[in-house]
Amino acid sequence: MTSGRTVAHVTCLGCGCACDDIAVVVERDRIASLENACPLGQTWFGDGTVPEESRVRGRAGSLPRALTEATKLLKGAGRPLIYLAADVSCEAQRETVAIADRLRAVLDTWAGESAAGGVLAAQRRGRAGATLGEIRQRADVIVFWAVDPADRYPRYVSRYAVEPRGLEVPEGRKSRTVIAVDVGPSRGPNDADARVAIAPEDEVDALGVMRATVQNRWGGNDARFQPAAELARRLMQARYVALVADGEPGPAPSDPDRAEALVALAQALNGPTRCALSTLRGGGNRAGADQVLTWQTGFPCAADFARGYPEYRPHAGAAALLAAGEVDAALVVGAAASIPEPVAGSLGRVPTVVIGPRASAAPFPAAVAIDTGVAGIHEGGLAFRMDDVPLPLRPVLAGPRAAAATIHALREALEP
Amino acid sequence: MTAAARLRITGGTVYDPANGVDGVVRDVCIEGERIVADLPAGAPRLDARGMIVMPGGVDIHAHVAGSSVNHARRLLPEEHAADPVPGDAIRRSGTGGTLPSTFVTGYRYAGLGYTTAMEAAVAPLAARHAHAELDDTPILDSGCFVLLGNDDYLLRQIATGEATRARDYAGWLLGVTRGYAIKIVNPGGVARWKGGGSERNVTGLDDPVGSSAVTPRKILETLAGAANALALPHPVHVHCNNLGQAGNAATTLESMQAVAGQRAHFTHLQFHSYGGARGKEWKSAARDVIEYVNGHPEVSVDVGQVMFGAATTVTADSPVEYLLHSSTGRKWVNVDIELETGCGIVPYAYKEKAAVAALQWAVGLELFLLARDPWRVALSTDHPNGGTFLSYPELIRLLMDRAYRDDRLKGVNQKLLAGSALLDGLAREYTLSEIAIITRAGPARLLGLTSKGHLAPGADADVTIYANEPDRAKMFATPRHVIKAGTLVVEDGQLRRAPAGRRLSVRPEHDRAVTRDLKRFFDDYACVSFENYGAEPVA
Repeated sequence: MTSGRTVAHVTCLGCGCACDDIAVVVERDRIASLENACPLGQTWFGDGTVPEESRVRGRAGSLPRALTEATKLLKGAGRPLIYLAADVSCEAQRETVAIADRLRAVLDTWAGESAAGGVLAAQRRGRAGATLGEIRQRADVIVFWAVDPADRYPRYVSRYAVEPRGLEVPEGRKSRTVIAVDVGPSRGPNDADARVAIAPEDEVDALGVMRATVQNRWGGNDARFQPAAELARRLMQARYVALVADGEPGPAPSDPDRAEALVALAQALNGPTRCALSTLRGGGNRAGADQVLTWQTGFPCAADFARGYPEYRPHAGAAALLAAGEVDAALVVGAAASIPEPVAGSLGRVPTVVIGPRASAAPFPAAVAIDTGVAGIHEGGLAFRMDDVPLPLRPVLAGPRAAAATIHALREALEP
Repeated sequence: MTAAARLRITGGTVYDPANGVDGVVRDVCIEGERIVADLPAGAPRLDARGMIVMPGGVDIHAHVAGSSVNHARRLLPEEHAADPVPGDAIRRSGTGGTLPSTFVTGYRYAGLGYTTAMEAAVAPLAARHAHAELDDTPILDSGCFVLLGNDDYLLRQIATGEATRARDYAGWLLGVTRGYAIKIVNPGGVARWKGGGSERNVTGLDDPVGSSAVTPRKILETLAGAANALALPHPVHVHCNNLGQAGNAATTLESMQAVAGQRAHFTHLQFHSYGGARGKEWKSAARDVIEYVNGHPEVSVDVGQVMFGAATTVTADSPVEYLLHSSTGRKWVNVDIELETGCGIVPYAYKEKAAVAALQWAVGLELFLLARDPWRVALSTDHPNGGTFLSYPELIRLLMDRAYRDDRLKGVNQKLLAGSALLDGLAREYTLSEIAIITRAGPARLLGLTSKGHLAPGADADVTIYANEPDRAKMFATPRHVIKAGTLVVEDGQLRRAPAGRRLSVRPEHDRAVTRDLKRFFDDYACVSFENYGAEPVA
């Protein structure tokens, strides 16, 4: 292909916003430019080039040979770990869970650890939520709780929550009040209409005070919590509150108490008014991994098939299993570069098969590495936005053999 | 090319009410995926002597796949941990509970002799998700009911009197979502709940929704008219306003009258058949509601029976779930879905000793037992809202066995049962033929599935063979053999094969000009590209 062409309505998996309005201009089999993409999107798409190799113990080999070696290695394992990483479609995720089931493996995902606090809180209490577009249509008061989406979710504000006009907010930004809650160094957006500062050690208690205020149960006069109580009273006057928090503020597991307090506050606000908690999540189709695991196993992450059926092990993730020497082989499906350090650093301890985008450049030793395309750049399929809205992926470039097809071939080879 | 698989089911007692066959000993012949009139003498045989042969079961209303169902699964890890389901050479592993994993859903339905189930509430925005789950739900043929009636685009068309455009929009939407029927849930009520402010639901058919021109009545009229004008195989499928409220029978009857003369299906009627006044004086109004149904052949219903035990309430009727959460204190999911609908979930349990649960149980049975035309009264529990599909065999026993039913009645809380026809001693016992109607022949006919629910040549080779046990609950819980599209999936009570099911969908003719206006609406308000919306493959 030599002349330029444009592929429109492309979904970007650079962050959980999954903006599906990207136009990709392709020239000479490379991505030449992007319309509507934010800096994260620019980095995620790059020029679209990926390696196309199959490697066995570091040496280039054919794809069939690599699949044969992978099959041998996984069949010989007593306790394999199957690890889902970023940038594969739900179709590939479905095949991966099937392999975990067949091998009676322990299954974890790259998103499991950092988001587990929020997942477990939602399993204890539920959630009061909305899809991002509903926040756009309804929210007249938006609270950014210790997060400024500008860095990690760049188009959240311009595309969803704040700036666009909505059915109930005809003038967009002007029709909304934006409140920043600063928790220590985790600050809300600079251009908020109002700010409230909360000390990190008071955060969970402040959320509790707000909930109690909303439920007319707080009569305390501790000066530390007056701003929180005042904020709660202000939110009760809103027509529709969006409470925005980061579900994955860092690589460390998120605080389950904080996550639960946010859910509880959002639910309580639905007494006097309406409220949706918007939990920000990263890219690479991690919401898709949650969804696929849930519909196939009943659990959104960390399922152990050792007994022939899925058991939920949210407190025994891949990092702990590798550190304890409890697994003797690993299959990684997805972008190796997306794997958090505690897992990536330990994967070299066991023979590992990596199948995914840039597998041949994995930052840990791989017994078998098979490059695939990137879902959403070289492969189509299904992915989910951070708010669980499904979106189609559109391939813009030809690339290596698709991850879904490669994993399917491995699955067939593993059948008895 | 190999010859299509053949099978002669010999000597069974056949119940095929659509073809007037009521317990006749005869052979049923299968070639490939179809029923055929006869087979050569040497064709393989399945001995069904002494057994009961029926078409495969058809569930007209259940929540089995998609975004709301998966939200509910994610909420219930404890249920899944308590009901593990191992895999084997033909089965994927999974978990059960009130919302089983997708594979287990397919296996368990087939294990009850059901071969078709309709997913009753799919938000158009999440249709792609529902289809992906159904792709992972083996054996069952399935279709999606697409949620309309609280969607902002439709409400705008009603506000400006654009009934024709509303119809074209419904036709377009069913096509792009690969849907099967139009589903209305609490028309206008969910839109009010999402709009914020003090009005959190509608209370009756004439409450304004945004505009004074938009009311639940107008929404019902518009969509019932659209479904009929689009010549859909199944008419509009209606979950009325005021679900679960004392006194809601009046709203239900008004809703039926609002679309009088047009075909319409009213779902989980049990939840809409209470007398009394809002919040008090609960009593049964089943007699009034079913009388209306009996007298109006254009109306069909499914019952939405409550069964004692664990349930999970999962519905697009999100304001109702807020009330249930507030009154029970149980965990609660609410998701407002952009420009379209809602989703609410609260786990629940119906107890014999609870007065309202006992009333609900009785109301459902009254509806079944007072219904005059079983062809228009389908069996459902609104799975998993009134109980799971695994309770269907127990429900069948309650309908077929008066002594058993009366015995169970003695054990339930009687406080609110005054005036219930059940207390007067309803003597009716359903026959096997009537059970075949309410569990397969009737639902298939109401859905317009002409090749399902019967065993005439040309029909889909979906066949269930039961041992003729006197305990009807046991009989219907453990069919001996189940054949799906010609494949023997259950053999001697064991699941042997788990082929993929087929998707049932419609693509109504409509004026394509509607897409120009829709694109403008998408440009103004949507957060998903028009070109990515729906559930069709993208280029």
